[in-house]
Amino acid sequence: MPGFDFPPFDLPPEAQALRGEVRAFLAEELAGKPAVERARSWSGGSREFSRRLGARGWIGMTWPRKYGGHERSYAERYVVIEELLVAGAPVGSHWVADRQSGPLLLRFGTEEQRQRLLPRIARGELCFCIGMSEPGAGSDLAAVRTRARRVDGGWKVSGQKIWTSNAQHADWMIALVRTGDAEQRHAGLSQLLIDMKTAGVTVKPIANLTGESHFNEVFLDDAFVPESMLIGAEGDGWRQVGAELAYERSGPERYLSSIRVLLEFLRVVGDAPSEAERLLIGEMTARMWTLRQMSLSVVGKLAAGENPAVAAAVVKDLGTSLEQDIPRAVQALARPDCDLSGDDPFQRTLWYLLQTSPSFSLRGGTREILRGIIARELGLR
Amino acid sequence: MSELRALLARTTEQVLSQTPDWAAVAQAGLDKVLVPESWGGFGGSWEDALIVIRALGYHAVDLPLAEAILDSVRVEERDLHTAMMVAAKMAGALSAALDLSVEYTRQRQQFGKPLASFQAIQQQLAIFAEEAAAANMAAAAAFRAADRGGAAFEIACAKLRANQAARISTAIAHQVHGAMGFTSEYRLHHLTRRLWKWSSEQGNERFWADRIGAQVAQRGAANFWADLTR
Ligand SMILES: Cc1cc2nc3c(=O)[nH]c(=O)nc-3n(C[C@H](O)[C@H](O)[C@H](O)COP(=O)(O)OP(=O)(O)OC[C@H]3O[C@@H](n4cnc5c(N)ncnc54)[C@H](O)[C@@H]3O)c2cc1C
Repeated sequence: MPGFDFPPFDLPPEAQALRGEVRAFLAEELAGKPAVERARSWSGGSREFSRRLGARGWIGMTWPRKYGGHERSYAERYVVIEELLVAGAPVGSHWVADRQSGPLLLRFGTEEQRQRLLPRIARGELCFCIGMSEPGAGSDLAAVRTRARRVDGGWKVSGQKIWTSNAQHADWMIALVRTGDAEQRHAGLSQLLIDMKTAGVTVKPIANLTGESHFNEVFLDDAFVPESMLIGAEGDGWRQVGAELAYERSGPERYLSSIRVLLEFLRVVGDAPSEAERLLIGEMTARMWTLRQMSLSVVGKLAAGENPAVAAAVVKDLGTSLEQDIPRAVQALARPDCDLSGDDPFQRTLWYLLQTSPSFSLRGGTREILRGIIARELGLR
Repeated sequence: MSELRALLARTTEQVLSQTPDWAAVAQAGLDKVLVPESWGGFGGSWEDALIVIRALGYHAVDLPLAEAILDSVRVEERDLHTAMMVAAKMAGALSAALDLSVEYTRQRQQFGKPLASFQAIQQQLAIFAEEAAAANMAAAAAFRAADRGGAAFEIACAKLRANQAARISTAIAHQVHGAMGFTSEYRLHHLTRRLWKWSSEQGNERFWADRIGAQVAQRGAANFWADLTR
């Protein structure tokens, strides 16, 4: 079963060489940034940071030069991404565009769309959001009801998206909409590029359990979308969105989200850990090292032109479990005076990740959905 | 995979899948996988040896082949490399137990349909597949590191990860097999009982987690990521 075959992949020397450059850049950019801020990872964004990263050539790295890309290898991109995440860089403004919207346009977009959008994404100027989920369409994504009605020169789109991360900051949304009949389910879906400034598009932030607003409701009320903003072919939305989700799932961000609290734990434990502390550190280190090898193997598959969708689901499920186990295990083992009310970096980071980690196995496809993909590869369904 | 390695994999499979005796193994030269060609061996690397050792675990073969392979080369830290061998056998046995569990749940019918069609079973076997994949990845990366030399950290992680995977997966394997898996006649226990033994051979989870944890803590937070990406 090829989905479960993970051959080791060694980063080539040029990728390792790039690592030093990225580290030096980040050390300067992020000097003095508090641990709890770093723990936000891709939930935090800064347009200025994205522009500076773009200027370095570290967005759209693997894309063709003619679209503003840099024709670097997947391995080089991987190194940049893992360094950004481990450092806790504010990558949220360009994250979605670099990871999935850009690659989607590269693969299915029209020439006009590519020329217009990809160079600006690569410069770090554009923020994209993902308009998949709806109130009635979560795991069952094919239940999407937002309708695109044909009008002169394009469509009028009406409906509602929800949980749309970054919609309040985004320039563009790639929306999965129904262009055919509801009875058609999969066949009636298409993907549209929607300019967030379009009349009839209203964004309403939703506060998450910490009180911060990262995701939103997006209301579409007869919003006009020109013909030229259809991605790929009408009715191909389901197939395309499957490819988009594979891009979304295959990155290293799927096991590193809680590394900050592990690092903070190491810092407070110091060089005289108790046995229980050593056991926790050892367990999490072995799991993290293994996941990194698996993540690298997925990069190897991408580089070889394979579609690593199942392998990526394996990494994401194991990875998000690790991301959730780390804060819980650290809490269970923290010194008794740690009551989560402390203002020190360790307690603040731990408290932040304890609260946010439940989302790790929801966003980008839930744990149960991923296990369903794996079960299909096993031949169980 | 190179042509030679593919040939080794085929030979290994042919020999080890037939409950071989030592003569069959020796005749195929599987004990000489690391011995240079000029000395009549296969002239392989640790990654080649992995194919043989993993298959030992997969087919639950009880021959001292791993020991013979270790004896055939000079290794500085014998215990460490023995642990690496056990991790590889465990990776193979985990894959075999997974295959067996998938096969069994597809055939066994209850409530008028195969067990495999129940989502509760599917989700458990998905976890099993992930754990087996992780153990195999860790072993493969450790053997590759051994070819580069100085693989103490990687071997420690591989053995610990194999132990973790065995703990989680053997429970699932037995649960989805029902009473049949608890019999002496059915072959699941050839794999799971070995996995339980191997988990305690050459270091259980406490042993390796302590060793890795002490080393990582000694190096400190500032070196953690740098060490992981060396
Ligand atoms: C922080 C965060 C950011 C997000 N950002 C975005 C975004 O930018 N754009 C976007 O489109 N969406 C986004 N989402 C939405 C995300 O994709 C959905 O939450 C996810 O697909 C699950 O849908 P749901 O929340 O409606 O849960 P449901 O589908 O209602 O599921 C609830 C529970 O039931 C389980 N379940 C559902 N169906 C089955 C089944 N068939 N078998 C077994 N179990 C099942 C699920 O696994 C889950 O455990 C975000 C979510 C979060 C938490």
